[in-house]
Amino acid sequence: MLTNCASKTLAAVRANIRAIATSSARASDNLFVHRDTPEDNPNIPFEFTAENKKRVEAILSIYPEGHKRGAMIPLLDLAQRQYGWLPISAMHKVAEILQLPNMRVYEVATFYTMFMRKPTGKYHIQVCTTTPCWLRGSDDILETCKKQLGIGVGDTTKDRKFTISEVECLGACVNAPMVAINDDYYEDLTSKDMQDILNDLKADKISPPGPRNGRFASEPKGEPTSLSEEPKGPGFGLQAGL
Amino acid sequence: MAGREAVKRAVQQVRPILSVDREEARKRALNLYKAWYRQIPYIVMDYDIPMTVEQCRDKLREEFVKHRNVTDIRVIDMLVIKGQMELKESVEIWKQKGHIMRYWKESQDPKPTDFLSKFIQGVN
Amino acid sequence: MIRAPLVKALGALGSPTHQMASRAVRTSAMVAQTPAKAPEKIEVFVDDIPVQVVPGTTVLQAAAQIGVEIPRFCYHERLAVAGNCRMCLVEVEKSPKPVAACAMPVMKGWRIKTNSDLTRKAREGVMEFLLMNHPLDCPICDQGGECDLQDQAMAFGSDRSRFTDINYTGKRAVEDKDIGPLVKTIMTRCIHCTRCVRFASEIAGVDDLGTTGRGNDMQIGTYVEKLFLTELSGNVIDLCPVGALTNKPYSFVARPWEIRKVSSIDVLDAVGSNIVVSTRTNEVLRILPRENEDVNEEWLADKSRFACDGLKRQRLVAPMVRMPNGELQAVEWEGALIAVAKAIKAAGGQIAGISGQLADLEAQVALKDLLNRLGSEVVATEQGFIAGGTDNRANYLLNSTIAGLEEADAVLLVGTNPRYEAPLVNTRLRKAYVHNELQIASIGPKIDLSYDHENLGADAALVKDVCSGAHAFSKVLEGAKKPAIIIGADLLERADGAAIHATVAEYCKKLKKPNWNPFNVLQTNAAQVGALDVGYKAGAQTAVKAQPKVLFLLNADAGKVTREQLPKDCFVVYIGSHGDNGASIADAVLPGAAYTEKQGIYVNTEGRPQQTLPGVSPPGMAREDWKILRALSEVVGKPLPYDNLDELRNRLEDVAPHLTRLGQLEPAGDAGAAGTISKSIGGGAIDIKLKELRDYFMTDAISRASPTMAKCISAVNKQQRENEAKQSVAI
Repeated sequence: MLTNCASKTLAAVRANIRAIATSSARASDNLFVHRDTPEDNPNIPFEFTAENKKRVEAILSIYPEGHKRGAMIPLLDLAQRQYGWLPISAMHKVAEILQLPNMRVYEVATFYTMFMRKPTGKYHIQVCTTTPCWLRGSDDILETCKKQLGIGVGDTTKDRKFTISEVECLGACVNAPMVAINDDYYEDLTSKDMQDILNDLKADKISPPGPRNGRFASEPKGEPTSLSEEPKGPGFGLQAGL
Repeated sequence: MAGREAVKRAVQQVRPILSVDREEARKRALNLYKAWYRQIPYIVMDYDIPMTVEQCRDKLREEFVKHRNVTDIRVIDMLVIKGQMELKESVEIWKQKGHIMRYWKESQDPKPTDFLSKFIQGVN
Repeated sequence: MIRAPLVKALGALGSPTHQMASRAVRTSAMVAQTPAKAPEKIEVFVDDIPVQVVPGTTVLQAAAQIGVEIPRFCYHERLAVAGNCRMCLVEVEKSPKPVAACAMPVMKGWRIKTNSDLTRKAREGVMEFLLMNHPLDCPICDQGGECDLQDQAMAFGSDRSRFTDINYTGKRAVEDKDIGPLVKTIMTRCIHCTRCVRFASEIAGVDDLGTTGRGNDMQIGTYVEKLFLTELSGNVIDLCPVGALTNKPYSFVARPWEIRKVSSIDVLDAVGSNIVVSTRTNEVLRILPRENEDVNEEWLADKSRFACDGLKRQRLVAPMVRMPNGELQAVEWEGALIAVAKAIKAAGGQIAGISGQLADLEAQVALKDLLNRLGSEVVATEQGFIAGGTDNRANYLLNSTIAGLEEADAVLLVGTNPRYEAPLVNTRLRKAYVHNELQIASIGPKIDLSYDHENLGADAALVKDVCSGAHAFSKVLEGAKKPAIIIGADLLERADGAAIHATVAEYCKKLKKPNWNPFNVLQTNAAQVGALDVGYKAGAQTAVKAQPKVLFLLNADAGKVTREQLPKDCFVVYIGSHGDNGASIADAVLPGAAYTEKQGIYVNTEGRPQQTLPGVSPPGMAREDWKILRALSEVVGKPLPYDNLDELRNRLEDVAPHLTRLGQLEPAGDAGAAGTISKSIGGGAIDIKLKELRDYFMTDAISRASPTMAKCISAVNKQQRENEAKQSVAI
């Protein structure tokens, strides 16, 4: 009775106090206007390589006439893969291929965070710092990267080899902590592993991706804890009547 | 029928407003004149108008002389009544300075009425 | 904006008669035309009031039918639906959550509640989010007092915000963009309704604006440094519901509650756009468009909107007479009128009059009456036209009408650039291009019309080819349901103009459809149609040929008449508002009123008479033009029989009754010049005066005097220089 009464009063008090919500007003570290720089300005010519031109044809052929603009994201990705990042002249080239105004391409390229609109290193190290990875020690991993390469988050080394970014969950929580370097996932990391990977990359040797603690994938470490016996034959567990 | 109506109208005695004869009307007018004449120094003082007493008396005379040809007793009476009303308003300071000065207003130039003068003055 | 795709044309707009997707479809469907079945109406309830609507109507439109206005920011009748501001959320019974009224089509039997608790809560919530990052700088904001966000925050918003962390972190700040000398940007105030982006892409056809970034960091802008240069850029100011885009020349000038508004007509092109003139203390502060579906919808071209500061510069404020030493000296009106009257007396009937670009109909009638009384018949317009073609009204009108061009499906432009000669006619063509599969071809130099069109070439002989039916485009015109041919007024000043006119007129008789006249002349001067209607001859040379002793220039500032063409002793009288070409050659200058200072009728290019109303009084000793002529007539001793505007309008009604029916359109018959045209079309390239944006800004005395227009030209030049510099680096 007493508790009931207390909770009612509490509810009444809560209803009269407005909840205080907080939101992040932090500006993005990306700039959403273009500034001409020596590395990135419309005068730097961009052209797809002969090989990529064939790929462009192939991509365009997927989309029906009148809907060619759907090929914008694949083409921008292709340009980024070719150039390492996405300069403004590459956007212009894509606009030219799709016969669209430049602005329509800028809109798409600035919307997606995986289009790198500023010079990016050959190896783009994306360190996941979302909760599961953070609980498993992503702070150490990030610290190792920073110390080893001598740069901060969002920076690129002078030799244009490495860029570090902090990213949100990449969907490999079961193998936390993890980093993604270009398209490869390196999982179950320790500081030591990270150092090895970076040292290999400095010598342009790419370590095999995957978990580093001996796991094959996301199975339990050591012995499996379930499904350990032989599979039962057909008819297992059926009612006798069936 | 119609003739009789006309005759009746001609001989009908109009009802007087105040005065029964011309003499009485004249007296009323003179009384009004005197009252105004005596009030003028006070008007000049109270309203602080840029006019001398003489100028005001000239204007008073002018206002009366304007109606010198009126012979109808009823009209004279009506003018006298209006004059009294004006006087009352002046004495009681119901008027303001501008209302007094309005007696001299017709000395201003009339507005042009023909197209060309209006055009040149820029008033059309 | 890319063209509305085929699917949309076929699917969304429904009936086969209404839309044909392509020419191929068009021709095949021609045979199988069936009258469109009127779609069955469905019943919905808005606040329990039943409304019958056609299927596909949105909730917002259904509510508007019974006069319930749902608040909105991003929705605009003339733009595509975006549905991103969420202000129009309303409750629909049995719907789990509020729906966006602007984007949701109604379903049968829906009960829409526009004022329920849920609706009000939704609006309050949206308002709170919008104000989270909107600065509270209303006291220094130019939109203050006419701001949608201000009004709607008052009406629907909460009195406080729960986002208290902005007290510590601050609001979002966005850097301002430089998009030109006309539109000022304060991008922090932007609420991302994207109306400006949609306007630029759909109506103006210049895809320079867009949204970059995402989420809280999204911004509206051009991404690269670029000016938003188009002849319609001013309209984004009206569209912007907040103070993010404001009028640059008008910034920090006035508040909406201190200004007087006068409904008037624009005269800087021949469209006759309806405008509202905002004035304060006898000064024109700004000009806004007024809605008129038949003429300008609700848009206004930049020249009409921003050239109003030219009304304060270069004005003639006192009558002037040229002294023996060759200098103009200011005199009183008496002196000026007597000087002119003396010259007229000495001329003995050898008098001529030329009416220019900005002359109102009343002054034109008065000038003609005066000259006729003085024994002269020589009154002419400054801009030329074909000889003997002015008797038939259809010869010089835009017969398809401005609103009608929206329905056209094949258009041929001959020697005209509607984008700069009449920007609001061009928006109609663009609308037809986007929504009606309009096919457009042009004969003349290559120009950018803001939509795709086929340039057939510049040779005048092509006109003959097309009109004989031999050209490929003739097939398109003949196969079209509503074809139109638009001839530029300047083209007809050519020596073979009459031949071109006759050829096209002849061909148009063939193309004619019931209730559709395909023959169009696109005029460039607001005064031209009115002058021809009241019997002016065309072409300044008509007046020059008469070698008059006295020449009246009524607002004639185009510089078509020079001193050398006239006799040595010719006395030139200029009546007009600005000290421009006309006044510089005049012996007597009589200062007139500009279009914001007088009540005058102007007839637009489709023949629609509309009147301006005075917002301010003429400066100094300037007088209304017809009054100057009336006063002069009295000094000469031949007074004109009207003393006021009503009497003059009565006289005008005797001359041309259709011109006093304001706002009404009088259909004209078939075009075709009287008599036979012997001349054949000569060869030679067709040229256009207004080819590029920089040519557009200064075309008449008012815009030539405007500092804002000068800034526009230098901005265009600067942008071009930069582009060229970039290109040369690239090469």
